[in-house]
Amino acid sequence: MSAVIELAPLTRIEGHGKVFVHLAGSRVVKVQLALTEPPRLFEALLLGKRYDEIPDIVCRICSICSTVHRVTALQAIERAFGLEVSEQTRLYRELAVIGGHIESHALHLFLLVLPDILGVSGFQELARTDPEGLGSGLRIKRVGNLIQERVGGRVIHPVNLLVAGIGKPPAREHLLEIKEALQEILPEVSVVWKRFLPKKASSPPADWLAIAGGTEFPLFGTMVRWRGGVFDSRQYRDRIVEKVTPHSHAKLVTVDGAFPTVGALARLQNDIVLPQGAADAFAAAFAGSPEDAGMMANPLGQAIELVAAVERGIALVDELLEETHVREYPFPVEARAGEGSAAAEAPRGLLIHHYGFDSRGVCTKAEIITPTALNQGGLERDLLHRAKSFEKAPEQEMKRELEILVRAYDPCISCAVHVIPAGDADV
Amino acid sequence: MRFPTVAVQGLTSCFGCQLTLLNCEAELEEIAERFLFVSFPMASSREERCATLDVALVEGAVSSPEDLETVLRLRSRTRILVAFGTCAMWGGIAAMSNGLSRASLVSEVYGAERDVVSFHPQPLERFISVDFALPGCPPEKHEILQLLGALLRGTLPVFPRYPVCMECRMREQRCLLIEDDLPCLGPLTQGGCNARCPSISIPCEGCRGPVAEANAASQSDLLAEKGHLADAVASRTGRFCREWNCERGY
Repeated sequence: MSAVIELAPLTRIEGHGKVFVHLAGSRVVKVQLALTEPPRLFEALLLGKRYDEIPDIVCRICSICSTVHRVTALQAIERAFGLEVSEQTRLYRELAVIGGHIESHALHLFLLVLPDILGVSGFQELARTDPEGLGSGLRIKRVGNLIQERVGGRVIHPVNLLVAGIGKPPAREHLLEIKEALQEILPEVSVVWKRFLPKKASSPPADWLAIAGGTEFPLFGTMVRWRGGVFDSRQYRDRIVEKVTPHSHAKLVTVDGAFPTVGALARLQNDIVLPQGAADAFAAAFAGSPEDAGMMANPLGQAIELVAAVERGIALVDELLEETHVREYPFPVEARAGEGSAAAEAPRGLLIHHYGFDSRGVCTKAEIITPTALNQGGLERDLLHRAKSFEKAPEQEMKRELEILVRAYDPCISCAVHVIPAGDADV
Repeated sequence: MRFPTVAVQGLTSCFGCQLTLLNCEAELEEIAERFLFVSFPMASSREERCATLDVALVEGAVSSPEDLETVLRLRSRTRILVAFGTCAMWGGIAAMSNGLSRASLVSEVYGAERDVVSFHPQPLERFISVDFALPGCPPEKHEILQLLGALLRGTLPVFPRYPVCMECRMREQRCLLIEDDLPCLGPLTQGGCNARCPSISIPCEGCRGPVAEANAASQSDLLAEKGHLADAVASRTGRFCREWNCERGY
């Protein structure tokens, strides 16, 4: 006697996905996570396009992560051409990405996770049962979007961040507006974590993967931390292996044969020095190592990161205000044949872009490794573990618990279906 | 009072149009008060599969049998079906390589061993009748709010049918096309964004699709005169829509 419990469609996540729980009698034998987003084929779309079209196209992979996709693509293109951008450009890019983190984390925590905690189905019910909670989430989210709009020119699919520079930098009054808005939400943001303490739950040990930190909250960098050591993200092809699976439109990713886990918790495992407010919140929220909690504590990690992002945002604006503000223009780009890759921390975890160009600057190779693709194997493993511990429970309860776990990972399935072209991947 | 019932659904897309609705932070609570969202998988686990719908906002292009099934089911129970964004209205970014073989694009990404069912992404109107559209990648917030406001009064908004260029001139901005020789698609593109990109000196990329009576041939000639290569112009104008000399009746 066998049966399949189906969670379809997965809701309150971005993209299309399903979970299948296979039962033999009452025992759970297998769990499959199917990312069923229609194939978008971005890597194939990019081939033959000139370098300056890449950022415009690639940010359309995903709306929530459009800013970080764009910035990562810019960095990869600049590395391929051997370009160095100015300090001012770097600061603006970091600020835009920080805005994306604030928006994404606030959206996930307040609109997608909070309904589970309060036992309602979405924002419509939240508006009745917890108007203060929803209102607070929307106020925080608005500030993230304000930053993205002012720096990127548009909230979703920013246009102002360019190869070798920035289009029109935000006016001084807009920087002050951003600073004021960030300062205004800081007290509110500092206590967000109290709402997202996870229920006690055992979970299989995870292998965390994140950009290796210096002293501050690291969003960009080439070295990534993995199992106590570091490796160079530019050599990802030697470490990260992808396999096409029959049940999902995303490929299964392993690092050195193990399933990696990326995201807020993976970043907090890094030996980074958080800004003061975030460090206080971290100490109070986790009271020990966050590792014990497993990915069910990922929303809690995001709540801590919200504080860090707001504090870092204020520091960045201060730095930008200090500058004498000579208007810089993007410098002329000389295309040349070459390849470049860049890694960044998207709200959901490690993101790698890699492009190759011919001597005219036309794209000949495009590879994108997204956090949700990296997390897929670990999520499936955790789902199996969780399903087994709810074998005896009623089906509805098991379904609800599995959905909560899926949401804790904050998957972004539009992103996940774009992975290394299969041609020379190790299958 | 009866609240209008609404479904919001994404097909082959980045979910940015739905996110723009959720980005109406100042208005979202009021929207929640005045509409009944019976299906909005991105933001709610509520799902009333059989409820009759007053409005369906459908984001994305149709590129798989599942997309097609979803959109046909929605059409059959919806009074006003809205093509939500450029992908739903014109095909959008996913459709830009529709001149190439879909099978070869699929095997490029997934390899030959994996059988993925996918056809050329196409706008909704190839499969169903569409009652209204909000262009844009993503659409502008104020247009979404105007639509919702009009729906509450039992009507649809009337958006002006002039190009981005017109709004740019009204803002008295320097012309990126004529004065700076940049490949700005403002003259061809449906306005409504208040010349968002040209106003920060970024040439229009045409994300809102063709305006009525867009003169694509003349634009191509002008860009050729200014020294832009034909394939670069073709690639740029084909990014969101592959046929510029056509109009939509909604």
